[in-house]
Amino acid sequence: MPPVIDKEKCTGCGVCAEICPLQVFRFRRKEDAVPEVRRPYECWHCNACVLDCKAGAIELRLPLTHMLLYVDSDSLKPSWTGRDTQK
Amino acid sequence: MIPVKEELACDVAVIGGGIAGLMAAIAAADEGADVILLDKANTRRSGAGATGNDHFLCWIPEKHGDISVVYDEFMDSQNATSNDTPLVMRFLETSPKIVNMWNDWGINMKPTGDWHFEGHAYPGRPRIFLKYDGHNQKKVLTAEAKKRGVRILHHCPVLDIFRNDEGVTGVLALDASDDEPAFRLIRAKAVVAATGYVSRLFTTDPTPSQMFNTNMCPSGTGDSIAQAWRIGAYLVNMEKTYRHAGPRFLARCGKATWIGVYRYPDGRPIGPFITEPNVETSDMTSDVWSSAFTDLKLAGTGPAYMDCSGASKEDLEHMRWAMKCEGLTALLDYMDKEGIDPGKHAVEFGQYEANLVTNGIEIDINGQSNVRGLYAAGDMMGNISGDIGAAAVYGWIAGHHAAEHRERKQSEGELAGAKDRMALYSDLYGREGGASWQEANFALQQIMTEYADCGPHRVRSETMLNAGIKYLGDLRKKIVRDMGARDAHELMRAAEVLNLLDLGEALMISARERKESRGRHLRSDYTFTNPLLRDKFLRIWRDGGEIRTEWRERLR
Repeated sequence: MPPVIDKEKCTGCGVCAEICPLQVFRFRRKEDAVPEVRRPYECWHCNACVLDCKAGAIELRLPLTHMLLYVDSDSLKPSWTGRDTQK
Repeated sequence: MIPVKEELACDVAVIGGGIAGLMAAIAAADEGADVILLDKANTRRSGAGATGNDHFLCWIPEKHGDISVVYDEFMDSQNATSNDTPLVMRFLETSPKIVNMWNDWGINMKPTGDWHFEGHAYPGRPRIFLKYDGHNQKKVLTAEAKKRGVRILHHCPVLDIFRNDEGVTGVLALDASDDEPAFRLIRAKAVVAATGYVSRLFTTDPTPSQMFNTNMCPSGTGDSIAQAWRIGAYLVNMEKTYRHAGPRFLARCGKATWIGVYRYPDGRPIGPFITEPNVETSDMTSDVWSSAFTDLKLAGTGPAYMDCSGASKEDLEHMRWAMKCEGLTALLDYMDKEGIDPGKHAVEFGQYEANLVTNGIEIDINGQSNVRGLYAAGDMMGNISGDIGAAAVYGWIAGHHAAEHRERKQSEGELAGAKDRMALYSDLYGREGGASWQEANFALQQIMTEYADCGPHRVRSETMLNAGIKYLGDLRKKIVRDMGARDAHELMRAAEVLNLLDLGEALMISARERKESRGRHLRSDYTFTNPLLRDKFLRIWRDGGEIRTEWRERLR
C-alpha cells in the first residue's frame, strides 16, 4: 500500500516517520530496523517521505481508486456522425 | 486517566505550524515573546503548504502601481465572497514586506529573476499571483522560527483552548509521538489558532471509499476553529462551503498550475477566456464557473478535460517545474510511471466535495477574535480569504499583536475546564471494543452530505437542515458513548471527529439561517438571491449552553 519501503536501501534513520503529516509510519528507534507502514489508508500521497528519504528507499504506490483519467488529446474533436453526415 | 507529561508556560501559544502558524510564531518571537508552537505532525512537512506552493497573492508596488489594482482583481477572484475590506487592505499593504522577507530567508520569490505574476488571471487584466518556488518553504520557516527561540512541539495536537473572564489562559495538548498518549498543559497569555481549512466533513466526492483522498491534506480538520467555538469565539460565514476542482479521482489542488484549456469531449473550450494554452493566465474558467465540471456531467456533455497539448515544449517544461514548486511531485511521479504526458494526453477534471476554507473564526484588523488574547490566522479566518498569501501575512500580523499580551499576568490556579476535557479524552482511550474514529467520521460525513451539502447538484432546505441538526445531535451522543481509541494516534483522530461534529453543527445552523440562495448555498425553499443579504455576514457563537446567530454588515 501507499509508501513502499525498500528494506535493502533503508538506513533506519526514521525521517519518514518523523515528517509524515499523517503518521502513516510507526517507527520505534530502539526496536525497529525499518519503519512499519502502519496506516496506509491515511496516506495522502504528498510525497514528503519520498522527497526527504536520503537513501531513496521509498516509492509511493497510488491506489487504483486514485487513477488519473486521461484520453489522447487528438481524440478531443467532433464525432462526425448524425446531423453532420447528412451534409 | 491519561497522565500529564508536563506543564509548560509561555507568552504566546501557537496552534498549528503551517504557513500562518509559523509566521505568527516568528513575529511574536521577534517582539520578544516566549513562544511555544504545537503541531499535529512536524512543521517541516505539515499543513497545506507541506511540499510547496507556486503562487502567492500580493501587491508589489513597482509592478502593480496603485494598491486598488490588486484589490479589485482580488475581489473578483474565486472564493472572495467573505472578505471584510479593511482586512484585505491591511493584508495587501503588508504583503510586499512579507514577500521580501521570504526572499531574504531563502524561499525563492523571484525564480525568473524578477517579480513575475502569472496564473489565476483574466486575459488582458492585471495579474496578482506572484509565481514563486515554494518547494522548501516549510523547512525555511521552521528554521527561522527555531533561530528565534520558538519551542516547537511536534506530534503534539492541541485538544482544547481554555479561557476565563479575562481572556485565554492556555491549551491542553496531546503528546501523540508514541503509542501511549500523554497530556501537556500549556499556560499562555495569548493563543494564535492556526490549524487551517476543514476537510473530512463531507463524503469524499471522487472516491467515497477513500476518506483521505481530499484536495487539501486530510490532516486539516479545523481543530482550533472548533476549540475556539467551544469557548465562545464568533465564527462567521460557516454556511459558505467551498468546492474545489482538479484531476477527477486523484484529489489535488493546483489547477491553475496546469497550462491548458478546459475542453468538452468534442474539443470546444468550455469557457470564454482562452482557446489555446496561455502560460500567463491559465484557464480561469474553473475559478469563475466552479461548478463547470459537475454541470457538464449533469447536462450529459461531459466529461471535461484539461488539455495542454497546444502548449509549446518550453511551456510544458515550465509547467513541470511549477508543479514541483507547488508540491505536486507525487502527481508528476505517477504520470511518469504511467506514461501520461500532458503534451499528448488530456486529463479529466472534476469537482470535489465541500470543505471549509475562509469559513471560521471572525477576526478584527489585528487578527484577534472576540475572546481577548485569542487570535486566528490562515485558512481558518472567517472574514478574509487569500490562500497562502493571506496566511503568511495575517499570521505575521496576528503574531505581532499576540505578543503585546506578554505584559499581561499569567493566569493562576487550575486551567478552568481542563479537568473535564482530560476526563473525556481519557474515557475514549480507556474504552474497549467501541466504534472506531473512522466509523464515527464516516457517520458524520453521511449526515453532512445528505442534509447539508451544497450546489450545484445538492440543495439545502429548512426541513432537511432541521432533520440534519437533529440527527447530528443523536450521532454526537452515540459517538461520545461508543467511540474508542486504542493508541495516541487514534485518540488524535477521535478528537478530530469531535471537532468536526461541532463544525458540522455550526455549519448547519448557519445554513438554516441564510434564507436565500447564494453561490453554492442553494436553498430549495428560498430559490432566489436576496440583494439585502449580499453584504451581510452571518455570525454564530456559543453563549454558555445556547447557540446564537446574528447578521452583520460586511466591512467596507
